[in-house]
Amino acid sequence: MKKVFPVVLMLAVLAVSTVAFEKTASAEDVKMVGSITKIEMASDSASAKVTLKDSKTGENVVVTVADESTLDKFKDKRIVDGDEIRSKFDNQDGKNVAKIFKKTAGC
Amino acid sequence: MVKKIAVSAILGVVLSASLVSAKEHAGKEYILKNGYQGPKTCETCHPGKAKEILGTVHWKHASKVDNVEGLKPGEEYGMKNRIYTMCNGNDIVNNLKEIPPNQLGQTKFSGCNTCHLGDHTSEVGSTGPQAEESIDCLICHSSKYDFSKRKPSKRADGTIIMGQDRSTEAAANLSRPTSKTCMVCHETAGGGVLVKRGFSVDPKNDVHVANKMVCIDCHQVKNHKFPTGYDPNNWAHDGERISCAGECHTSKPHKNADLNRHAEKIACQTCHIPKTGGASAKDFTKWEKQANGFWEPSTLRREVNETKPVYAWYNLTVANRPTFIGPNGSRVDGKSKIYPFKIFQGKAYFNKKTGELMSMDFAPPMANGDTLAGVASAAKILGIKDYEPVPGWQTIYFGSNHLVGPKKNALSCTSCHVPNGVLNFSELGYSSKEIQKLTSPELYFEETVKGQEEW
Repeated sequence: MKKVFPVVLMLAVLAVSTVAFEKTASAEDVKMVGSITKIEMASDSASAKVTLKDSKTGENVVVTVADESTLDKFKDKRIVDGDEIRSKFDNQDGKNVAKIFKKTAGC
Repeated sequence: MVKKIAVSAILGVVLSASLVSAKEHAGKEYILKNGYQGPKTCETCHPGKAKEILGTVHWKHASKVDNVEGLKPGEEYGMKNRIYTMCNGNDIVNNLKEIPPNQLGQTKFSGCNTCHLGDHTSEVGSTGPQAEESIDCLICHSSKYDFSKRKPSKRADGTIIMGQDRSTEAAANLSRPTSKTCMVCHETAGGGVLVKRGFSVDPKNDVHVANKMVCIDCHQVKNHKFPTGYDPNNWAHDGERISCAGECHTSKPHKNADLNRHAEKIACQTCHIPKTGGASAKDFTKWEKQANGFWEPSTLRREVNETKPVYAWYNLTVANRPTFIGPNGSRVDGKSKIYPFKIFQGKAYFNKKTGELMSMDFAPPMANGDTLAGVASAAKILGIKDYEPVPGWQTIYFGSNHLVGPKKNALSCTSCHVPNGVLNFSELGYSSKEIQKLTSPELYFEETVKGQEEW
């Protein structure tokens, strides 16, 4: 009993911390700076999938953008392929959904 | 003359037909038939408008300034020539140019005057036929402007020009400017979206926008002159001023008489714009290398509504010193009200020999981080030979005049009239005895408890 209890306790702590870690990981926002390689507007124009090439890692990340102001910028080409973007997103149902999506450039 | 009569006749027919579809521009058919040749096409029906805009702040980026200390009388000031630490460059020293190659051998075009109505063949503030011809009417007036055309490029002779969309499609689709039109430039001032002023023109953050208003509903333009407020850091103006009290809101806008009494000494913005945002500090003496190989000034960024304002008395005249730009005013001058301000602090180089703030040509530091090379280049452009650059800080109070939240977010009695409230009564000039009274619930307890939501 004396030997079993610490092991059980350790396992319990491990289980709780794993669950906690998982919860934290899935709720965490991701921030990145990257350049646009592709913009795909949805057929209803209510969202767009944007592929960003991460400036640090070189990896492609697909981010879904749904805010009206940014979608308008895609339509009139204020934001185009090649523009550098600062984005913050989180994962919702397997999709990276943008909370912030802004060009880094300014005057 | 014959051509003008013919055009007028065509327009007359078009106008009567267009009564059914009131939103269509009367000149659409003419433009579709004849194409667009720049401002002279617009001037067919709007003569004199090109010359008119050359006299405004949007073209000159400067004006006579009547409410700021220490300026030379008769001179004009604005982003054309000002030296301060939100930008530290201006149209003169940071003129649109190709920057030197960075470590990766890359260059790009950059300059303060990328936000200008011209195509860079004529300088900011220039006059004459060439200047008139270079105006981009469509960037404000077209509802189908292709912004991908609005980028700098180098001509064969080495001149850097700013592209414009002068397509027939853009010219044939005209409408009243929306907020998007203004935000093309005004959203990205200071080095990126939301950096300078930290306000986002969207319904979530501003009740005027939520009520479908656009910028020019308040900034009611006449002859291309835009009425503006008295932001201590926004000096250039078109001679027309704007305030909350006017067409929509009177000087006694509340049903509650106590609140109207507050409005005699407290600006509308103080209660109705309780937060601000945008960059809080920048360091132009130390630039950071970005992943793209270019360098940018180090910037402490803040989002919309992330920052608490500071409150000060303001009589609409501006203190202008090398280390401080901000409101003049006091409790007792009879002209001041308490306004909210966003505090920004910028680090740049001062001239040790004169104490004056120096400006910076961004091209060298953007390429390789060499800030002193930027200072040297700017000094050369301005003809300053005797200088010794030393780093120092400047504090700037920016006006907080946008981001008007819904009524429920406005400051209330318990925002200010408590010991730990948002107003620093001592700094505002109140005595200890007065502060004791001002922070006592005696002032508002009965009324507030009556209005409290019942559980």
